[in-house]
Amino acid sequence: MEPLLNFFLIDDSAFDLFIYEKLLIKSGITNSVKTFNSARDALKHLVAKADELPDTIILLDLQMPDMNGFEFIDEFDQLPGDLRSKIRIFMLSSTIDTRDIEKAKASTHILDLLPKPLEIPFLKKKLGV
Amino acid sequence: MSEKAITILYIDDEEHNLHSFKASFRKQYDITITSSVVEAEQLLEEKDFCIILADQRMPVMTGVQFFEKIRIKFPKPIRILITGHTDIGAAIDAINKGEVFRFIDKPWDYQYVENAITNAYDIYKTREDLKQRNIELQKANEELDKFVYSASHDLRAPLMSVLGIVNLALLEDDIKSQNEYLELIRQSVKKLDTFIINIIDYYKNARGVPVVTDISFEELVTEVQATIQYLPEYGNLKMTTDIQQDGVFCSDVMKLRIIFNNLINNAIKFQDKSKPNPFVHLTIQSTSSQAKIVIEDNGSGIRESDQDKIFKMFYRAGATNSGSGIGLYIVHEAISKLGGEISVTSKIGQGSIFELNIPSINK
Repeated sequence: MEPLLNFFLIDDSAFDLFIYEKLLIKSGITNSVKTFNSARDALKHLVAKADELPDTIILLDLQMPDMNGFEFIDEFDQLPGDLRSKIRIFMLSSTIDTRDIEKAKASTHILDLLPKPLEIPFLKKKLGV
Repeated sequence: MSEKAITILYIDDEEHNLHSFKASFRKQYDITITSSVVEAEQLLEEKDFCIILADQRMPVMTGVQFFEKIRIKFPKPIRILITGHTDIGAAIDAINKGEVFRFIDKPWDYQYVENAITNAYDIYKTREDLKQRNIELQKANEELDKFVYSASHDLRAPLMSVLGIVNLALLEDDIKSQNEYLELIRQSVKKLDTFIINIIDYYKNARGVPVVTDISFEELVTEVQATIQYLPEYGNLKMTTDIQQDGVFCSDVMKLRIIFNNLINNAIKFQDKSKPNPFVHLTIQSTSSQAKIVIEDNGSGIRESDQDKIFKMFYRAGATNSGSGIGLYIVHEAISKLGGEISVTSKIGQGSIFELNIPSINK
């Protein structure tokens, strides 16, 4: 049996946080989902809990007020390497804008762009579980 | 002359030419004269001229040489050369090279010069108008680009949420929890519908023909209140109004409705539910010349760093479920179309005050 994964969900939509938290837990790949409705809060949390943070997968929304997904990635880039190495980021967005898609592909910190709604088999395949 | 006078700079080393020109045309045009090409350049730095007239035969440099020298730095003014018959070759050459628009024969005749100036000004004005149109067009294009990007997100996101909920509901065996999912679908659909209505409002506001009628603020506010008081998020908010209207106030009722609807809706949406007495208070003082409108609430307030951005398109100050960042933009657009102003003072955690001044439109 695969070890359970830790997830962070970062999304300004309360709907989507609710849906994907439930979906992830239902899928059985995790029993630990932390939700953030602001990218800035998530970033603060990462910095504050840097030492005790287990290996974590972040599902990051793109269009958010205050700090959007790409701005989060820019800040993430500045974090210490040993903290970053514990984190894998997927962008989870409903965008169909080619500029967004190219930008997400070009980013070294974004492993992949997952379209909304999240399909668990697709996520599992990307994670290799 | 209805608009600003046509500004003309005339350069000639012969002072009496300058003075007779000024004497002939000073009533019609805004004329500046100089006998020095050096001073002429300085004057060009200081003032915007529509047309430059220069004599061809001058001691330091010829008129054509002067035009060559300044045309890159001052491309806007239309250049006219004044020459005697002996310089005709130079004049033709200058026209063909594009240095000058026209040349005027010496001794000049009043009618002929006036005609040349009128034609030159037509060209000047056409170019300036075109430039202005291009700037406006560029702005409209940028706005449209941003609009399509953000609108496609705001139209798709709630739909993808619904799809996500449906996927989740299909995994659920428990029939009871289906109702919870249906409720989420309902909210998501409502959010999408609100956004579509906002977009339609925006276009009505931007493109629609304004209809100016007598406004009764009392009626208008009652009408807006009627549509919002049954909203589920209304809660136990208390809305009070103080409306004083003296004289006939005329405006576009459609735009005013958009303004009141959005501002009051915002006060409801962003009320601070932790406070015991959430309120919104609306004050309107209207005369026959203008209306002063104040909307005050004790809601969640707006961060100071956000206050200058909230009227921008698709700017969302907070991470909330409601709002796509278009409401206050529409309000701002509507108010500017009515020739009015809006300002906000707010303290986070304490509440917000929106103040509007809208002039009456004379029918």
